[in-house]
Amino acid sequence: MVYEEKFTLLTSEYNQYIVVTKMVERAVRDSGVQNGMVTVISKHTTAGVTTNESLECLESDIDVFLKRLVPEDYPYSHARMLADYGSTAGNPTGHLKAMLVGNHAHFMIRDGEIERGGAQEVYFCEFDGPSERTFIVQVMGE
Amino acid sequence: MFIDVHVHPAFYEPINDDPMRENMRHEVLDIHLNGIAKLEHVRNQMRLAGLDKLCLLPQDYLTEEGEVPVTNEEIKKLVDLMPDQFIGFASVDPHDPEAAEKLDRAFGSLGLSGLNLHPGRQRFYPMEECVQPLYDICETYNKPVMFHAGMSWEPHTLAKYGRPIEFEELAETRPGLRFCLGHFAWPWLEEAAMLMVKHKNVYADTAALYFDCAREFYSRLFTRELEVTWIDRSLRHQVMFGSDNPRFEQIRMAHALEGLGLRDSTVELIKGKNALEFLNGLE
Repeated sequence: MVYEEKFTLLTSEYNQYIVVTKMVERAVRDSGVQNGMVTVISKHTTAGVTTNESLECLESDIDVFLKRLVPEDYPYSHARMLADYGSTAGNPTGHLKAMLVGNHAHFMIRDGEIERGGAQEVYFCEFDGPSERTFIVQVMGE
Repeated sequence: MFIDVHVHPAFYEPINDDPMRENMRHEVLDIHLNGIAKLEHVRNQMRLAGLDKLCLLPQDYLTEEGEVPVTNEEIKKLVDLMPDQFIGFASVDPHDPEAAEKLDRAFGSLGLSGLNLHPGRQRFYPMEECVQPLYDICETYNKPVMFHAGMSWEPHTLAKYGRPIEFEELAETRPGLRFCLGHFAWPWLEEAAMLMVKHKNVYADTAALYFDCAREFYSRLFTRELEVTWIDRSLRHQVMFGSDNPRFEQIRMAHALEGLGLRDSTVELIKGKNALEFLNGLE
Protein backbone atom coordinates (compact mmCIF):
# COMPACT_ATOMS: atom_id res chain seq x y z
CA MET A 1 0.00 0.00 0.00
CA VAL A 2 0.97 3.61 -0.42
CA TYR A 3 0.08 6.19 2.23
CA GLU A 4 0.80 9.88 1.88
CA GLU A 5 0.56 12.95 4.07
CA LYS A 6 1.42 16.60 3.39
CA PHE A 7 2.73 18.89 6.10
CA THR A 8 2.88 22.68 5.94
CA LEU A 9 5.34 24.79 7.90
CA LEU A 10 5.47 28.55 8.31
CA THR A 11 9.17 29.18 8.62
CA SER A 12 10.27 32.29 10.48
CA GLU A 13 13.96 32.74 9.66
CA TYR A 14 16.04 33.27 6.54
CA ASN A 15 17.91 30.00 7.13
CA GLN A 16 16.31 27.59 9.56
CA TYR A 17 16.71 23.95 10.52
CA ILE A 18 13.50 22.37 11.79
CA VAL A 19 13.35 18.86 13.25
CA VAL A 20 10.29 17.12 11.79
CA THR A 21 10.99 13.57 13.01
CA LYS A 22 7.86 13.36 15.15
CA MET A 23 5.67 14.42 12.22
CA VAL A 24 7.21 11.68 10.08
CA GLU A 25 6.81 9.08 12.84
CA ARG A 26 3.18 10.01 13.25
CA ALA A 27 2.56 9.63 9.52
CA VAL A 28 4.18 6.19 9.62
CA ARG A 29 1.99 5.15 12.55
CA ASP A 30 -1.14 6.50 10.83
CA SER A 31 -0.26 4.57 7.69
CA GLY A 32 -0.45 1.23 9.52
CA VAL A 33 2.50 -0.03 7.47
CA GLN A 34 4.59 -2.55 9.42
CA ASN A 35 7.33 -3.26 6.91
CA GLY A 36 8.34 -0.97 4.08
CA MET A 37 9.91 2.40 3.56
CA VAL A 38 9.17 6.07 4.11
CA THR A 39 10.38 9.03 2.09
CA VAL A 40 10.24 12.65 3.23
CA ILE A 41 10.38 15.05 0.28
CA SER A 42 10.51 18.84 0.11
CA LYS A 43 8.29 20.43 -2.53
CA HIS A 44 10.66 23.35 -2.94
CA THR A 45 13.84 24.36 -4.70
CA THR A 46 15.12 26.66 -1.96
CA ALA A 47 14.41 24.33 0.96
CA GLY A 48 15.64 20.82 1.57
CA VAL A 49 15.27 17.73 3.68
CA THR A 50 18.14 15.92 5.30
CA THR A 51 19.07 13.86 8.32
CA ASN A 52 21.56 14.70 11.03
CA GLU A 53 22.03 14.84 14.77
CA SER A 54 19.87 17.44 16.47
CA LEU A 55 22.40 19.49 18.38
CA GLU A 56 22.60 23.27 18.56
CA CYS A 57 26.34 23.16 17.89
CA LEU A 58 25.90 21.00 14.80
CA GLU A 59 23.11 23.18 13.45
CA SER A 60 25.46 26.13 13.82
CA ASP A 61 28.30 24.28 12.10
CA ILE A 62 26.04 23.21 9.23
CA ASP A 63 24.79 26.77 8.84
CA VAL A 64 28.28 28.28 8.87
CA PHE A 65 29.57 25.58 6.52
CA LEU A 66 26.84 26.24 3.97
CA LYS A 67 27.32 30.00 4.23
CA ARG A 68 31.04 29.54 3.60
CA LEU A 69 30.35 27.41 0.54
CA VAL A 70 27.57 29.67 -0.73
CA PRO A 71 28.30 33.27 0.32
CA GLU A 72 25.59 35.92 0.09
CA ASP A 73 27.94 38.45 -1.46
CA TYR A 74 28.80 36.91 -4.82
CA PRO A 75 27.86 37.87 -8.41
CA TYR A 76 25.29 35.13 -9.00
CA SER A 77 23.52 34.96 -12.37
CA HIS A 78 20.21 34.23 -10.65
CA ALA A 79 19.74 37.87 -9.64
CA ARG A 80 17.39 39.44 -12.16
CA MET A 81 13.74 40.00 -13.02
CA LEU A 82 11.96 36.76 -13.84
CA ALA A 83 9.12 37.26 -16.31
CA ASP A 84 7.27 34.11 -15.19
CA TYR A 85 7.05 35.48 -11.66
CA GLY A 86 6.88 39.19 -12.42
CA SER A 87 9.33 39.68 -9.60
CA THR A 88 13.01 39.71 -8.86
CA ALA A 89 15.00 36.57 -8.23
CA GLY A 90 17.31 37.19 -5.33
CA ASN A 91 17.57 33.76 -3.83
CA PRO A 92 20.44 31.99 -5.63
CA THR A 93 21.97 31.01 -2.29
CA GLY A 94 18.73 29.24 -1.37
CA HIS A 95 18.80 27.20 -4.56
CA LEU A 96 22.44 26.23 -4.12
CA LYS A 97 22.15 25.30 -0.44
CA ALA A 98 19.03 23.25 -1.14
CA MET A 99 20.92 21.42 -3.86
CA LEU A 100 23.73 20.61 -1.45
CA VAL A 101 21.42 19.35 1.28
CA GLY A 102 19.17 17.46 -1.10
CA ASN A 103 15.40 17.32 -1.31
CA HIS A 104 14.61 14.13 0.62
CA ALA A 105 15.39 11.64 3.36
CA HIS A 106 14.60 7.96 3.09
CA PHE A 107 14.20 5.31 5.81
CA MET A 108 13.20 1.69 6.23
CA ILE A 109 10.20 0.72 8.34
CA ARG A 110 10.33 -2.41 10.48
CA ASP A 111 7.59 -3.55 12.83
CA GLY A 112 5.75 -0.27 12.31
CA GLU A 113 8.68 1.90 13.38
CA ILE A 114 11.16 3.99 11.40
CA GLU A 115 14.52 2.29 11.53
CA ARG A 116 16.90 5.11 12.25
CA GLY A 117 20.08 5.50 14.26
CA GLY A 118 19.96 6.92 17.75
CA ALA A 119 21.36 10.24 16.58
CA GLN A 120 19.39 10.50 13.35
CA GLU A 121 16.72 13.18 13.16
CA VAL A 122 14.87 14.37 10.10
CA TYR A 123 15.41 18.03 9.30
CA PHE A 124 13.43 20.36 7.09
CA CYS A 125 15.92 23.01 6.00
CA GLU A 126 14.77 26.51 5.06
CA PHE A 127 17.18 28.49 2.89
CA ASP A 128 14.99 31.36 1.69
CA GLY A 129 12.69 32.15 4.54
CA PRO A 130 10.48 33.26 5.97
CA SER A 131 8.02 31.32 3.87
CA GLU A 132 5.19 28.82 3.86
CA ARG A 133 6.62 25.40 3.04
CA THR A 134 5.26 21.97 2.30
CA PHE A 135 6.86 18.56 2.57
CA ILE A 136 5.37 15.21 1.68
CA VAL A 137 5.72 11.99 3.65
CA GLN A 138 5.07 8.92 1.54
CA VAL A 139 4.92 5.51 3.20
CA MET A 140 5.10 2.34 1.07
CA GLY A 141 4.84 -1.20 2.36
CA GLU A 142 2.54 -3.71 3.95
CA MET B 1 11.42 53.65 13.43
CA PHE B 2 11.79 51.84 10.10
CA ILE B 3 8.93 52.26 7.61
CA ASP B 4 8.46 50.68 4.20
CA VAL B 5 6.35 53.28 2.37
CA HIS B 6 5.66 51.12 -0.67
CA VAL B 7 3.97 47.76 -0.08
CA HIS B 8 1.19 46.19 -2.11
CA PRO B 9 -0.81 43.77 0.07
CA ALA B 10 -2.68 42.21 -2.87
CA PHE B 11 -1.80 38.70 -1.74
CA TYR B 12 -2.29 39.03 2.03
CA GLU B 13 -4.44 36.20 3.30
CA PRO B 14 -7.25 38.20 4.98
CA ILE B 15 -8.29 39.72 1.64
CA ASN B 16 -7.85 36.57 -0.44
CA ASP B 17 -10.71 34.31 0.56
CA ASP B 18 -12.14 34.56 -2.98
CA PRO B 19 -10.06 32.53 -5.50
CA MET B 20 -11.54 34.54 -8.38
CA ARG B 21 -10.20 37.77 -6.93
CA GLU B 22 -6.84 36.17 -6.24
CA ASN B 23 -6.59 35.00 -9.85
CA MET B 24 -7.63 38.45 -11.09
CA ARG B 25 -4.83 39.98 -9.02
CA HIS B 26 -2.23 37.62 -10.46
CA GLU B 27 -3.28 38.57 -13.98
CA VAL B 28 -3.85 42.31 -13.56
CA LEU B 29 -0.66 42.85 -11.54
CA ASP B 30 1.44 40.23 -13.39
CA ILE B 31 2.74 38.69 -10.19
CA HIS B 32 2.74 34.91 -10.13
CA LEU B 33 3.86 31.88 -8.10
CA ASN B 34 4.22 34.01 -5.00
CA GLY B 35 1.65 32.33 -2.76
CA ILE B 36 -0.69 33.89 -0.23
CA ALA B 37 0.90 35.59 2.76
CA LYS B 38 -0.47 34.88 6.21
CA LEU B 39 -0.17 37.85 8.55
CA GLU B 40 2.21 35.81 10.69
CA HIS B 41 4.45 35.54 7.63
CA VAL B 42 4.21 39.31 7.09
CA ARG B 43 5.30 39.83 10.71
CA ASN B 44 8.22 37.44 10.22
CA GLN B 45 9.27 39.26 7.07
CA MET B 46 9.06 42.63 8.83
CA ARG B 47 11.15 41.33 11.74
CA LEU B 48 13.89 40.00 9.47
CA ALA B 49 13.93 43.29 7.52
CA GLY B 50 13.94 45.26 10.76
CA LEU B 51 10.74 47.07 9.76
CA ASP B 52 8.30 48.59 12.22
CA LYS B 53 5.57 49.73 9.84
CA LEU B 54 4.35 49.24 6.28
CA CYS B 55 2.39 51.64 4.09
CA LEU B 56 -0.18 49.50 2.29
CA LEU B 57 -1.08 50.74 -1.19
CA PRO B 58 -4.33 49.73 -2.92
CA GLN B 59 -4.83 49.87 -6.68
CA ASP B 60 -7.92 51.13 -8.49
CA TYR B 61 -7.82 50.42 -12.22
CA LEU B 62 -11.55 50.65 -12.80
CA THR B 63 -11.54 52.56 -16.08
CA GLU B 64 -8.68 50.83 -17.87
CA GLU B 65 -9.11 47.28 -16.55
CA GLY B 66 -12.62 47.18 -15.17
CA GLU B 67 -11.06 45.96 -11.93
CA VAL B 68 -10.03 47.29 -8.57
CA PRO B 69 -7.28 44.83 -7.58
CA VAL B 70 -7.21 46.08 -3.99
CA THR B 71 -9.97 48.32 -2.65
CA ASN B 72 -9.84 50.99 0.02
CA GLU B 73 -12.15 48.90 2.15
CA GLU B 74 -9.76 45.94 1.94
CA ILE B 75 -6.91 48.21 3.06
CA LYS B 76 -9.03 49.37 5.99
CA LYS B 77 -9.70 45.74 6.90
CA LEU B 78 -5.96 44.98 6.95
CA VAL B 79 -5.13 48.10 8.96
CA ASP B 80 -7.71 47.11 11.56
CA LEU B 81 -6.03 43.69 11.89
CA MET B 82 -2.56 45.15 12.54
CA PRO B 83 -3.10 48.81 13.43
CA ASP B 84 0.33 49.24 15.02
CA GLN B 85 2.13 47.94 11.91
CA PHE B 86 -0.01 48.96 8.94
CA ILE B 87 -0.58 52.45 7.53
CA GLY B 88 -3.32 52.37 4.92
CA PHE B 89 -3.42 54.43 1.75
CA ALA B 90 -6.39 54.99 -0.55
CA SER B 91 -6.62 54.63 -4.29
CA VAL B 92 -9.15 55.99 -6.75
CA ASP B 93 -9.23 56.15 -10.52
CA PRO B 94 -8.97 59.79 -11.68
CA HIS B 95 -11.16 58.98 -14.69
CA ASP B 96 -13.92 57.62 -12.46
CA PRO B 97 -16.66 60.29 -12.10
CA GLU B 98 -17.06 59.22 -8.48
CA ALA B 99 -13.35 59.44 -7.69
CA ALA B 100 -13.54 62.58 -5.56
CA GLU B 101 -16.44 61.23 -3.54
CA LYS B 102 -14.62 57.93 -3.00
CA LEU B 103 -11.45 59.69 -1.89
CA ASP B 104 -13.31 61.92 0.52
CA ARG B 105 -14.87 58.82 2.06
CA ALA B 106 -11.47 57.07 2.21
CA PHE B 107 -9.99 59.94 4.20
CA GLY B 108 -13.06 61.05 6.13
CA SER B 109 -14.70 57.73 7.00
CA LEU B 110 -12.04 55.06 6.56
CA GLY B 111 -9.28 57.20 8.02
CA LEU B 112 -6.72 56.30 5.36
CA SER B 113 -3.43 58.16 5.37
CA GLY B 114 -2.64 59.08 1.76
CA LEU B 115 -3.54 58.59 -1.90
CA ASN B 116 -1.87 56.11 -4.25
CA LEU B 117 -2.02 56.84 -7.99
CA HIS B 118 -0.47 55.12 -11.00
CA PRO B 119 -0.41 57.57 -13.97
CA GLY B 120 1.06 54.98 -16.35
CA ARG B 121 -1.68 52.44 -15.63
CA GLN B 122 -4.57 54.81 -15.03
CA ARG B 123 -3.54 56.82 -18.10
CA PHE B 124 -3.37 60.39 -16.92
CA TYR B 125 -0.69 63.05 -16.77
CA PRO B 126 -0.12 64.57 -13.33
CA MET B 127 -1.47 68.01 -14.36
CA GLU B 128 -4.63 66.81 -16.12
CA GLU B 129 -7.93 68.35 -15.07
CA CYS B 130 -9.43 65.05 -13.96
CA VAL B 131 -6.96 64.63 -11.12
CA GLN B 132 -6.98 68.19 -9.77
CA PRO B 133 -10.01 67.67 -7.47
CA LEU B 134 -8.16 64.75 -5.89
CA TYR B 135 -5.19 66.99 -5.08
CA ASP B 136 -7.63 69.50 -3.57
CA ILE B 137 -8.95 66.80 -1.25
CA CYS B 138 -5.43 65.72 -0.30
CA GLU B 139 -4.54 69.30 0.56
CA THR B 140 -7.74 69.75 2.53
CA TYR B 141 -7.01 66.64 4.62
CA ASN B 142 -3.23 67.29 4.59
CA LYS B 143 -2.58 63.83 3.10
CA PRO B 144 0.31 62.95 0.77
CA VAL B 145 0.19 61.35 -2.67
CA MET B 146 2.24 58.33 -3.70
CA PHE B 147 2.71 58.22 -7.47
CA HIS B 148 3.99 55.27 -9.40
CA ALA B 149 6.69 57.08 -11.41
CA GLY B 150 9.05 55.86 -14.10
CA MET B 151 8.90 52.36 -15.50
CA SER B 152 6.27 49.90 -14.31
CA TRP B 153 6.40 46.12 -14.67
CA GLU B 154 2.61 45.92 -14.61
CA PRO B 155 1.00 45.14 -17.98
CA HIS B 156 -0.60 47.88 -20.08
CA THR B 157 1.51 50.62 -18.56
CA LEU B 158 3.24 53.48 -20.35
CA ALA B 159 6.21 55.09 -18.67
CA LYS B 160 5.68 58.42 -20.45
CA TYR B 161 2.95 59.35 -17.95
CA GLY B 162 5.35 58.96 -15.07
CA ARG B 163 8.45 60.86 -16.19
CA PRO B 164 9.59 63.22 -13.43
CA ILE B 165 9.36 66.24 -15.70
CA GLU B 166 5.60 65.66 -15.90
CA PHE B 167 5.42 66.37 -12.14
CA GLU B 168 7.30 69.67 -12.25
CA GLU B 169 4.24 71.86 -12.69
CA LEU B 170 2.48 69.99 -9.88
CA ALA B 171 5.40 70.67 -7.54
CA GLU B 172 5.44 74.30 -8.64
CA THR B 173 1.71 75.00 -8.41
CA ARG B 174 0.97 73.02 -5.25
CA PRO B 175 3.89 73.57 -2.88
CA GLY B 176 1.72 72.46 0.03
CA LEU B 177 1.05 69.04 -1.49
CA ARG B 178 3.59 66.43 -0.47
CA PHE B 179 4.05 63.77 -3.13
CA CYS B 180 6.42 60.90 -3.73
CA LEU B 181 7.91 59.68 -7.00
CA GLY B 182 7.65 55.96 -6.39
CA HIS B 183 10.52 53.75 -7.53
CA PHE B 184 12.65 56.94 -7.66
CA ALA B 185 11.10 57.27 -11.13
CA TRP B 186 13.61 54.75 -12.47
CA PRO B 187 15.27 55.09 -14.96
CA TRP B 188 15.00 58.87 -14.60
CA LEU B 189 16.78 59.28 -11.28
CA GLU B 190 18.66 62.41 -12.26
CA GLU B 191 15.48 64.04 -13.51
CA ALA B 192 13.80 63.14 -10.20
CA ALA B 193 16.74 64.62 -8.31
CA MET B 194 16.36 67.80 -10.35
CA LEU B 195 12.79 68.21 -9.04
CA MET B 196 13.66 67.23 -5.48
CA VAL B 197 16.57 69.58 -5.02
CA LYS B 198 14.35 72.54 -5.93
CA HIS B 199 10.97 71.45 -4.55
CA LYS B 200 11.00 70.22 -0.96
CA ASN B 201 7.47 68.86 -1.25
CA VAL B 202 8.74 66.20 -3.69
CA TYR B 203 9.91 62.92 -2.20
CA ALA B 204 11.15 59.69 -3.79
CA ASP B 205 11.23 56.12 -2.56
CA THR B 206 13.77 53.36 -3.13
CA ALA B 207 11.33 50.77 -4.51
CA ALA B 208 13.37 49.75 -7.54
CA LEU B 209 15.05 46.45 -8.28
CA TYR B 210 14.87 45.87 -12.01
CA PHE B 211 18.34 44.40 -12.49
CA ASP B 212 20.81 42.38 -10.44
CA CYS B 213 20.49 41.86 -6.69
CA ALA B 214 19.40 44.50 -4.22
CA ARG B 215 22.92 45.35 -3.08
CA GLU B 216 24.19 45.70 -6.65
CA PHE B 217 21.22 47.70 -7.95
CA TYR B 218 21.08 50.05 -4.96
CA SER B 219 24.81 50.61 -5.32
CA ARG B 220 24.33 51.57 -8.96
CA LEU B 221 21.34 53.84 -8.34
CA PHE B 222 22.51 55.62 -5.22
CA THR B 223 26.29 55.79 -5.64
CA ARG B 224 26.79 56.01 -9.40
CA GLU B 225 23.63 57.18 -11.21
CA LEU B 226 23.25 59.64 -8.37
CA GLU B 227 26.41 60.55 -6.53
CA VAL B 228 26.12 59.29 -2.96
CA THR B 229 26.81 62.85 -1.86
CA TRP B 230 23.71 64.11 -3.67
CA ILE B 231 21.45 62.12 -1.35
CA ASP B 232 23.68 62.47 1.69
CA ARG B 233 24.00 66.26 1.43
CA SER B 234 21.04 67.62 -0.52
CA LEU B 235 18.20 65.10 -0.75
CA ARG B 236 18.56 63.42 2.64
CA HIS B 237 15.19 64.70 3.90
CA GLN B 238 13.24 63.57 0.81
CA VAL B 239 14.23 59.94 0.22
CA MET B 240 12.18 57.17 1.85
CA PHE B 241 12.64 53.43 1.97
CA GLY B 242 10.20 51.52 -0.22
CA SER B 243 10.32 47.96 -1.48
CA ASP B 244 7.32 47.47 -3.79
CA ASN B 245 6.92 44.11 -2.09
CA PRO B 246 5.88 41.53 -3.30
CA ARG B 247 7.31 42.58 -6.67
CA PHE B 248 10.71 43.17 -5.11
CA GLU B 249 12.60 41.81 -2.15
CA GLN B 250 11.79 43.70 0.99
CA ILE B 251 14.35 42.09 3.31
CA ARG B 252 17.33 42.26 1.00
CA MET B 253 16.44 45.82 -0.08
CA ALA B 254 16.18 46.89 3.55
CA HIS B 255 19.60 45.44 4.26
CA ALA B 256 21.04 47.01 1.10
CA LEU B 257 20.44 50.50 2.49
CA GLU B 258 23.41 49.90 4.74
CA GLY B 259 26.84 50.04 3.15
CA LEU B 260 26.05 52.65 0.50
CA GLY B 261 28.38 55.13 2.14
CA LEU B 262 25.62 57.35 3.50
CA ARG B 263 25.98 58.90 6.91
CA ASP B 264 24.21 56.94 9.65
CA SER B 265 21.98 59.93 10.25
CA THR B 266 20.99 59.94 6.56
CA VAL B 267 20.14 56.24 6.69
CA GLU B 268 17.94 56.93 9.71
CA LEU B 269 16.13 59.65 7.77
CA ILE B 270 15.56 57.30 4.82
CA LYS B 271 14.43 54.49 7.08
CA GLY B 272 11.69 56.37 8.84
CA LYS B 273 12.04 60.01 9.79
CA ASN B 274 11.31 61.24 6.27
CA ALA B 275 8.29 58.97 6.02
CA LEU B 276 6.92 60.46 9.22
CA GLU B 277 7.26 63.94 7.70
CA PHE B 278 5.69 62.75 4.45
CA LEU B 279 2.78 61.23 6.33
CA ASN B 280 2.42 64.27 8.59
CA GLY B 281 3.12 62.05 11.57
CA LEU B 282 1.30 58.96 12.73
CA GLU B 283 -2.29 59.23 13.83
